[in-house]
Formats: sequence, structure tokens, C-alpha cells
Amino acid sequence: MFNKRFLSPKVSQKISYAILFCATILAIIPVSIIVFIIIKNGASAITWEFLTSMPKDGMRGGGIFPAIIGTLSIVLCAITITLPIGVCAAIYLNEYAKDNLLTRVIKLAIVNLAGVPSVVYGLFGLGIFVMFLQLGVSIVAGALTLSIMELPVIITTARGALSSVPHSFREASLSLGVSRWQTIRHVVLPNALPGILTGAILSIARVSGETAPIMFTAAAFYVPHLPKSAFDQVMALPYHLYIISTQIPNMPRNIIFGTALVLLMMVLSMSLIAIIARIYFRKRRKW
Amino acid sequence: MLDKIRVENLSCFYADPKEKGGKKRVLESLNINVVENEILTIIGPANSGKTTFLRTLNRMNDFDPNYSRKGAIYLGNDNIFNMNMEKLRKRVGMLFAMPIPLPMTIYENIIYAPKRLGVVNKKSEQNEVVEQALRDASLWNEVKDRLNSSAMKLSGGQQQRLCIARILAINPEVILFDEPCSGLDPISTAKVEESMMELRAKYTIVLVTNNVKQASRVGSRTAFFLMGKLVEVDKTGTIFVSPKNKQTEDYITGRFG
Amino acid sequence: MKRKIDSIIEAIIFVCGILSIIFVALIFGFLLKEGFAFFKEFGVIGFITGDLWYPTSDPPKFGILPLIIGSLFVTAGACVIAVPIGVMSALYISEVAPKGVRDVLKSFVELMAAIPSVVIGFVGMVTLVPLVRTIFDIPTGLTAFSGSIMLAFMAMPTIITISEDAIRSVPWSYKEGALALGATKWQTLHRIVLRAAMPGIIAAIMLGIGRVVGETMAVMMITGNAAQIPYSIFEPVRTMTATIAAEMGETVRGGMHYRSLFAIGLVLFLITFIVNFTADLFLGKTKK
Repeated sequence: MFNKRFLSPKVSQKISYAILFCATILAIIPVSIIVFIIIKNGASAITWEFLTSMPKDGMRGGGIFPAIIGTLSIVLCAITITLPIGVCAAIYLNEYAKDNLLTRVIKLAIVNLAGVPSVVYGLFGLGIFVMFLQLGVSIVAGALTLSIMELPVIITTARGALSSVPHSFREASLSLGVSRWQTIRHVVLPNALPGILTGAILSIARVSGETAPIMFTAAAFYVPHLPKSAFDQVMALPYHLYIISTQIPNMPRNIIFGTALVLLMMVLSMSLIAIIARIYFRKRRKW
Repeated sequence: MLDKIRVENLSCFYADPKEKGGKKRVLESLNINVVENEILTIIGPANSGKTTFLRTLNRMNDFDPNYSRKGAIYLGNDNIFNMNMEKLRKRVGMLFAMPIPLPMTIYENIIYAPKRLGVVNKKSEQNEVVEQALRDASLWNEVKDRLNSSAMKLSGGQQQRLCIARILAINPEVILFDEPCSGLDPISTAKVEESMMELRAKYTIVLVTNNVKQASRVGSRTAFFLMGKLVEVDKTGTIFVSPKNKQTEDYITGRFG
Repeated sequence: MKRKIDSIIEAIIFVCGILSIIFVALIFGFLLKEGFAFFKEFGVIGFITGDLWYPTSDPPKFGILPLIIGSLFVTAGACVIAVPIGVMSALYISEVAPKGVRDVLKSFVELMAAIPSVVIGFVGMVTLVPLVRTIFDIPTGLTAFSGSIMLAFMAMPTIITISEDAIRSVPWSYKEGALALGATKWQTLHRIVLRAAMPGIIAAIMLGIGRVVGETMAVMMITGNAAQIPYSIFEPVRTMTATIAAEMGETVRGGMHYRSLFAIGLVLFLITFIVNFTADLFLGKTKK
């Protein structure tokens, strides 16, 4: 990289490290600025009323309560569907699957599910859940769409958690005549649980911010009441932010920023909790 | 004397990583028996197939896709390869080289298998099973006051005896020891050997060891394995005093291995 | 009895295991079904190579060339920014930063990945877009360039995390060998470690590209959404993803326009499939 005749290896190392350091700064500063801008402009909008009341005046006033409730109901519904399926799939891959063609195809499918663009999930959800299964634009349709979207993430993290349980524990249990499933149920799963749960929280956080998949499957422009059943349309925070920041003229700036701040804090605080929990459980691990 | 285990023409293979479909033979046409209530010790240098043999006795290798075998092993009158794996392992317990306590309390470690196997149900029965197993493994006095503390906190020797107690709790017929003292200091080793000698009255024991002296101390009979073949098996006294085979003599006297 | 329950549970586990395959097949099948219905009437060639996207005019024109080029511009721009910065950060985090700093940085990068794209889009819209307009003195700041910058931040967490994994998984013996010969740590790093980690870094870049190609909300909010073939990066563009998201709400369910959006979805699916598949091949290489 640097001509040796002019620079000693020591000096070139110093310069290179400085460049790497600057790159890292360049990667993290802009995002910090984004967060800072939102906090600075949005903090003034956050009041108890803003969080707990209905929108007013064509959404130019009032609060964002229905959007918060809508988002929570969609994502919680989604994780309830995904978590058991994802954990079972991870158990299959980690504990039962042999190294054969089927396993390779499953792994390839997971890699692909993880890479499908979020808007394509939206299309798919619209096609199969809203139209084909006639669930309509509803919490269920959105939750099902999101649950398929987060499935690869749950499988991957759950698999990591399962494989971090030492192989010897399984051998010890099997050698005592305990069956394979009982071994998984009573030795492997309890020890993988913290890892699985932190993965689940992280995935709830990610999915809370998704807009495109719920745009055509669950989210509504404006619903003047809270959802009464899982087959209702709902407002959702990310979609609401999109609407008020692009579709509604003369929108008060602080309401937009306030909405963005609530969404950001929801996502970041959940992620942070998961990250801290993960560090805590790793330190406390008994083996 | 009765044969507890009879091995007939057992050969074991591992898939050869170097060529596709190729197999490496690790045990060759093995014929050996284990007499009831004896301690059969198996000695031999590394890669002689002794651990593979031991793990075949309770089919611990069956989940390994690279492993395959031929021949038959009879436990009493039943061919173990036709038995249900869980039933077999309940009758043939195994102690590993490194102590593997499960990440639970001492009490839970002991009661884990009996509970899962549906052997005990009532709480009072459980207490009894735990105490008896710990006493038989000569660990009771050391841990009776902290049965509810984590098993991971015990010392290495204690952990290994806990693992013995765990096996005793399911009341097997045969116990396999896979170099159980390789990670232990001399004092802990002596204690494990002591409990082995006591267990002999009730159980049939197969011990694989790298430690020739240990074999001479505890073995009723000793078998010498070399390169996947049984070279010689005889009363421990005979093997150590006047082995028939030159290779056995060389190994015992420390000329190789 | 117990054994029966065991086998039932194991059957359920197996079904969940293959569910991923079923989902991928379902997604592909659905896109294909709607896409085919569209291609039967309109034709594939005209769809891919047509340079006019007027889905609501009479007769409608469904050429997605401008959209493909729009996606390409934005993606290429984002890569130019995100790849060097991302890979250098990964090097810094994995090999240079002290352990405490490294852990904090890694957590930070993980948090970065969680920031919703609609938030990034919104902030880009109110800060970057006006800035771009004044600096470059162009009629609008809603350009492919602005989109590239914002998307670069969204690709970076992916690139950093996966490259960092690849760099860290280079065996110690490689480094020790070079260091023992008197090379400085930096020489070892860029001559040995970087080369050994290259397949993983390429995979990281591919996955980053995959993320950018599929990104929807942020691009829709800051690239201007003009469905025309751009001649420079400072012009408004419209990506494939933004087209689907922006127009799906207005289509008649089951109509030509509706189906054309599924056809775009099919193209996107195939692109990301190829990108992810290749990335996975490279990742497989590093593991060996």
C-alpha cells in the first residue's frame, strides 16, 4: 500500500491504522447523527398524551396511540407464530439432520428466505393471506407475513444457541438411556433458552420497524378506533411515519419527529435489552 | 462362571475422509467375552480401537454417520444390535474420560435419568435413590449438605464420582469406564478405583485405560488391543507376570506405547 | 406410550425443518403464477427491455428498464461508499481495536442494523436531500445520489458484521507465521489475513448488495421516484422495490397493473436469489 522506500513498516502501520480508525468513525458517526437529529427534534413532542391518545385533525394533532398498539399487536402475533416453528426447525437442523441433500436444500432455503426483499414479502402476503386465504387486510395477514420474514432469523439464532450447548451433555444424557427427544427437551433446550429468547427479542425489534411487508397486508392509513379482533386493519408506527412524512401536507414537524422517535426508541431499546441480556447470559454460563 | 457379554466377530469401521466411500477398519474380527461380576480391563496404545470397542458396547457411536460395524454382541441372550437403544443403555451404563456433570444441581443430576425413564415417581423414593446412589459411589458424606448446589462446582474427582452415582441410580447390569481417571490427580484416581472395586460385587465392569498400572491394580482379567486386534486376554496376574505374546510384554514393560 | 409421544414430536420437528423449503417454494410459486399471467399478455422481452413505465396510460406501457437501471444506480452508488468503509471498519474492529472497544463497536453495529428504513428515509428526506440540492446546485435533491448515501448506511452493518466474522476466523497460525518472520502487524494484516478472509468478505459484500437491492422505504422516500432512464447519478430515479410499494395501493386487484407488480417482484426475487446463493457459496468456502 505504501512505498517502503519512503515509509518504514512502523510508520506505514501507524498511518494505516489511522485510516482504518477513520473508516470506522465514518461508519458510525452518520448513524449517530441520525439518532441525534431525531431525539433533538422529536423529544419535545413526546408527552403522555401523545403516546396515549388518538390522532386528531387529519393526523395533524393528537397522539399516536392506535399506531403503537397496532404495531405491537402485529409483531407479538408474528413472534408467537414464528418462535415455535423456528425453534423446531433449528432443533431439526442441529440435532437430527444428517449431512445430506435435504439438509443442504433446507439451508439454502433459509439463506434465501433471509434475502428476499421485504417488499416481496409484502407482495406474497397480499397474494396468499389477504387474497387467496381471504383474511383481508388484517392483523393476522400482516403477522403471518412478518412471521415468515423473521423465520430465517429465528432459525439461525436458535441454531446458534443450540449448538453452543456442549456435545458432551447430550452424550451424558443419552448414555443414561434417556431418549433423544427427552435429552433435547430436558438438557439441550433449557440451556439454549437464554440464547433463543434474546434472538427472539432482537427479531421483534427488527420486525417492528418493517414497513413494506405490512403496507398491503395489515396497515391502514387511518383507523379511528383500536382493533377489536385479529381480523381488523390497524395503524402501524412505521407505516404511519411514512404516511405523515410524505403524504400529508402541512404536517407539524414535531409530530413527525416525535413519531420517528417513538419508533426508533422502541426498536433500539428492545435491541439493546437483547444485546445486554446476551452478554449477561454468556458471562453467567455454567460451562 | 457366566458370560455377561459375548462379542462375536465384531468389526468396526470409520469412513475414510481421504477417499469417498472408503472405509477404515478400526476393529477387526473381535471375539471376547466379559464374565459376570468381573472387571475386564482393556489396555493398548492410542488408536488400538479400545474406545471404539467400548462405545460399541452401548451403541454410543450409532449417531455417528461415519461409523459402521459388523458382527454381534450378546448381552445375556440378547443381541444388543437388535435391542432398543434406550433399553440397552439403561442396562449398560457408561462413564466418560472427562467428568460430565449436567448443568443442574447434584440432586437433579442423580435423579435426572430415573425420572426420565419413569423408574421413580414419588418424592420419598427419589430421596432414597439419590442417597443410595451417592453412598454407593462413596460421595454421600462429602455432598450430603449441599445436594441443591450446582454439580459444576464440585472438584474433578467428585464430579467423576457423581457421574458414577448417576449411572448407579438407574441400576444397570454393566458399567463401562472409558479412561475415567485420565483427567484426575493420583488421590482422586485412588478414590475412583476404590469405588470400582466395591462396585464389582454388584456390577460387571469393563475398563479401558491408558494406565497399565491401573489395569494391574483393579483388573480381574486384562485384554491387550493393538491396531484394532485383540492380541491377548488372560487373568491380570498372568498377563503381567508371563504374557504369551512378545508385543504384550513390550507394551507392559513400557518398550512402546 | 412415551416412545409414541417422542415419535410424534420428532415428526413435528421434521415438518418444521422442511417448512423453509415450502415457504420459498410458495413465494416463488405465487410470484410465478401472477407473473406468468402477466407475461402471457405482455411478453417477457417487452417487459425487461421496454424503456417506458406508464402502467395507467392507455394503452399501458410496462417497460421496467428504467426501474432496473434505477435500482442499479442506487445499488452501485451505495456499494462504492459502503464497501471500502465497511471492510476497513471490519478490519479495525476485528484486528486493531482493543477488546473493550471492539465489544462496544460490535454492539453498536448491531444496533445500526435495527434502525428502521423508514426512519432513515425520513431523516434523509429532511436533512440530506436539501443539502444535496444546495451543494450540487440541482433542481431537486431527490436523486439516486442521495439514495445511495442513505442506503450505504443500511448496507454497512451487514458488510461489517460478516466481514468481521470472516477476518476473525482466519486461523492464528497464519498470523503467527508471518509475525514470526518479522512482519509488522499491519503487513500481516493486509497481506495474509485479508487474503485469507477474502471469500468471506466477498460474501459480506454480496449480502450487503442483496440488502440494498431489496431496500424499499428509504429509496422510495429519497430518490424522487421518476420512472425514466437516468443519465447521471444526480437525477431522480425509481427503483423496482419503490415501484411495487408505491403503486400496489392504487391497483385493481387481479388487473394487469397488479400483475405487473408481481412480475417485478419475480425479477427482484430472482436477483436476490442469485446474490444470496453466490454469497452462500463464498461463505461455504471460508468454512473449509
